[in-house]
Parts: sequence; C-alpha cells; structure tokens
Amino acid sequence: MSFLEFKNVEYSYVGGDDELVSALKDISLTVERGEFVALVGCNGSGKSTLARLCNGLIAPDGGEVLVDGKPTTDKSALFDIRKKIGIVFQNPDNQMVTTIVEDDVAFGPENLGLKPDEIRARVDWALKSVGMSEHAKSGPFRLSGGQKQRVAIAGVLAIKPELMILDEATGMLDPNGRREVLEVVKKLNRDENMAVIMITHFMEEAAAADRIIVLNKGSIAADGGKELFNTPEVFEDAGLDLPLYVRLARRLNDIGMDVGCPLTADEFAAAVAAIATEGGKR
Amino acid sequence: MIEIKNLSFTYSPKTPFTTQALFDINLRIETGDFFGIIGSTGAGKSTLVSHFNGLTKIQKHSGAVIVDDIDLSVKKIDLKKLRAKVGMVFQYPEHQLFADTVLKDVMFGPKNLGLSNAEAEKRARDAIALVGLDCAEIAERSPFELSGGQKRRVALAGVIAMHPEILVLDEPTAGLDPKGKREIMDLILRVKSDCPTVVMISHNMDEIAEYCNKIAVLKHGRVMGVFSPRELFGSEDLLESCGVELPLVTELAVKLNALGIAVDKSVLTENELFEEIKKAAGAKNA
Repeated sequence: MSFLEFKNVEYSYVGGDDELVSALKDISLTVERGEFVALVGCNGSGKSTLARLCNGLIAPDGGEVLVDGKPTTDKSALFDIRKKIGIVFQNPDNQMVTTIVEDDVAFGPENLGLKPDEIRARVDWALKSVGMSEHAKSGPFRLSGGQKQRVAIAGVLAIKPELMILDEATGMLDPNGRREVLEVVKKLNRDENMAVIMITHFMEEAAAADRIIVLNKGSIAADGGKELFNTPEVFEDAGLDLPLYVRLARRLNDIGMDVGCPLTADEFAAAVAAIATEGGKR
Repeated sequence: MIEIKNLSFTYSPKTPFTTQALFDINLRIETGDFFGIIGSTGAGKSTLVSHFNGLTKIQKHSGAVIVDDIDLSVKKIDLKKLRAKVGMVFQYPEHQLFADTVLKDVMFGPKNLGLSNAEAEKRARDAIALVGLDCAEIAERSPFELSGGQKRRVALAGVIAMHPEILVLDEPTAGLDPKGKREIMDLILRVKSDCPTVVMISHNMDEIAEYCNKIAVLKHGRVMGVFSPRELFGSEDLLESCGVELPLVTELAVKLNALGIAVDKSVLTENELFEEIKKAAGAKNA
C-alpha cells in the first residue's frame, strides 16, 4: 500500500462565466514515505489544486485520494490524514493565527494534544530548523515576508508530518532564505524520512529532487528522475524553462560542441572542461 | 530623481517592540536609472521604498527624502502631487484588485488624480493595452476571473495609468512562472520609455543582473554600497562581503573557472555566458 495514492482523480470548479473548468484530469500517481518530489508546471496547471487534494482540503469530483489506504473523503480519517500531511502555502500572511511567533508554531502541536514539554521541545526545534529562534517572542506581523514564511514552515514542521507539501513556499524568500529552507527540507527528508512534495517554478530547485512530476493543463505530462531533462520538449510544452545548464548544453550541442546531456551544473562544467582539454591536446 | 539623505527609521519607537529598520541611508537615484535594490529578507528594502511615495512618514531627526522638488521630511507633504509622480507597485499587487471590472479597477488611480471620467478611461485603456492585454476583450470582465499573470498585469496597468515619472516595484515577478516573469520584465522595459526612472526590489539576481544599471545592496538596514552589475557580480569578494547570492550565470561561470575554463566571471546574461564558453572552449580547439 502506498503512502499517498491518487486514483483517476478529477477535479473541476465553477469559473467566472458559470462554466465548469476542469482543473485536474484523470490524475493517477503514488508517493511513498521518504520520497522527494518536485511538482512543476506553469501558473494555472493545477499544481495547487493537486496539493489541496492530498490532505482533504478539497475532495475529488471523480476518483479517489488515499492516504495510507484511507480516502480523504472519509471524515473520520481526516484528523489523522492532516497529522500526516502538512501544507505550507505561498502567502504566509494567510497562515498566521496568533500574535506571538512561538505561539503560532505551537498551535499545531497543541491541537495534537501533546504534553507541554513535548510542545516546547518541538517549537524550539522547529524554529531552530528554520533559523528563527531569535524571533520566538516577536509578533509575526512585525516580520518581513521571508521571515514570516519561515515561521509558517516551522508551524508545519512542529506537527512532524510524514509528508510536507511546499506550495511555492519559497517564492517570497531571498536566495539565501530559499537555499536555507531547501537545506532544512532536504535534511528532514534524509534524517527523518519525511516525504516532500515541492511545488516550484525554480527549475534549479526542481533539479534537486529525486523525482519530477510535470503538470500541464491539469494532466501529468511527465513523471520521472532528472533524466527527464533529456526530453526538454516536456518542459517547453508545459511552459517551463529548463535549468540554465541544460539550456546552455543544448545550445552548445547545436553548434557541434558535444557536451551531452548533463544532469547537474557540476556535470555541465565537467563536460565543457573535457571538450576544452581535448581540443587543447589536439 | 530621488535623493535620500541620512535616512533612519525605527518601527514602534519607545515601546518594548522597537526595531530599527534603517540606519543612516544615503542614496541618489537619478532620472533614467533602472535602479535595483537587493538584500536578504528583513534588510529594510520595502521599508526604504515605502518612503518614496510618503506611505511611511519620515521620523523626527531621521534624515530626508527628496523626490525631484518635493521634500518629504516636512510636515505637510503634497501627497497628491507626490503620488502622481511616484507609482508604487507592491508585492503581489494582484491582491489589491477590488473593482468589479478590469476597466474600473485601472481607472481608480487616474480618477483619484482628479481626472475626468473620459480622460481616466482613455488612460486606463491605453495602460491595459500597454501591459499586453486585449482591452476590448477584458475591460468589462471581473479582474478576479483572470489568471495570476493577467491579474498582475492589470494591477500594473492601474499604476501605469497614473502616468508616473518614477515607478517603484517591489518584487514584480515573485510567484510567476518563467513565461510570466519574462512578460512582466518586457512590460517594465516598455513602460520605461515613458516613465524614465524605475526602482526595483528583487531577489532574482538574474533579473537584477540583466536589467539594472545600478544596484544598491542593503544589509541589516544599512547600505553596503551602490554598484554597476558588472562591478558587483564580477567580484566574488564584493558578493561575499555584501552577502549577495550569485546569479545562476555567474555561479556557472565560477564553476567553469574552477575547472580551468577561463570564462569572464562578470557575465550577466545567458547569451554572454554562451559566447564566453564558445570562445574559451573554441579557442583551445583552434
């Protein structure tokens, strides 16, 4: 049994002209414990809808979403499902519920009915993980956008979910903040076996994942490892950019400098270096 | 031109929550600049630019901001004149759309300038066209049924319709997909031909490197310096001391250099890097 399973999921909503808009079409996928998945697609491709289906924030119109075998439409299972799957959204302002940062982070664990010292420990750990310990006593509304987002991530961390979904949660962070959050998430994935679904536009960020799922107009266009970069059409059709080094490699290949299909920036640099030295020896 | 002299700012002064956000800032933004402001979250970037249209009042004995001939450190500022001059686009401006049609939303700004309905509508229609939307098709629709990228363009049109001379943008491309990002940057370049001065806060170093002629680096509320893009991104020491992340092109150029490929580290765009790699690897091939 998979940890998370989508079985032929359909979802539509009523659009502006009272017409039914199909946001997701026949989605089937599974995510296992400990996986690190990047979910990419352009604005309006259905990424956030997919995220909201995972822990039952919305229910599918067709098909089923199962968490540990339990459907998200089963109301008696919802509390448990949301304990297992936490979502961090894009806009932190909509995710703050209290006036003190550490209270906000404690909100989740308190609702789990944990003992006070366990709550204390989790809050401290979560704030430390996102580098916000020194702001524990601040008011969340006095923080900058990026700082607030880190608090929001800490709030979900403190629940210790088995799957954390980041819905463009790093979009408001600066590059350092983004890297820090990415490191935290990678570490939790590695050390605590927490599964991660990262929804992002940053292809360099997506390249850090073990598995990339490409959504295009509500359907899964591709699902695989970094070897997907070998078929750039998939990303281009979905309105996405390729990572910079993949774009450069393709252009170099086009003019006859064969660097192959590097899957990381380091591989790219090595391939270019190999060509240059080879030429030098000639 | 915006001149900032010894500007400091403290949130909630004389309370237990007091936090100083800006320390003795001195900057000069000239007419015609595409002025980038960078720095990590909490560096004071948004606090700084919120002074430019009088949204944040300059505190007593905390310096001055002068926008062309308007001194913002005096008690009574002519806000109407100031806001006609300085167009401010906040983070996620689409969250501020409110009217029931796109046209009404874009007309709101010009009407507040005291323009007639007819003039405001004309400006609104021009602005909607300028941001690349089909006015005939979209004018009477609700802004809330548009896509994220379209909403953002409508929000930008609302500011552009006020015909500002200085456009201040706080992370204009945040949250957009790559295509949406390019569309917004192209549109800002189009606007710049009529609105000569653009100030842009961004965390996207690739955009900063490609578009700005001057870049101010803020760190913990202080200005670390003002640089040209090549000066800043070409110097690893400077980047390190200012705590600035490398643009992706620079990062790749540095990696190549480490492996003995002598590409210029001050490249700012993908095209420049491509040419450099061609030259470096090709030269050895020849």
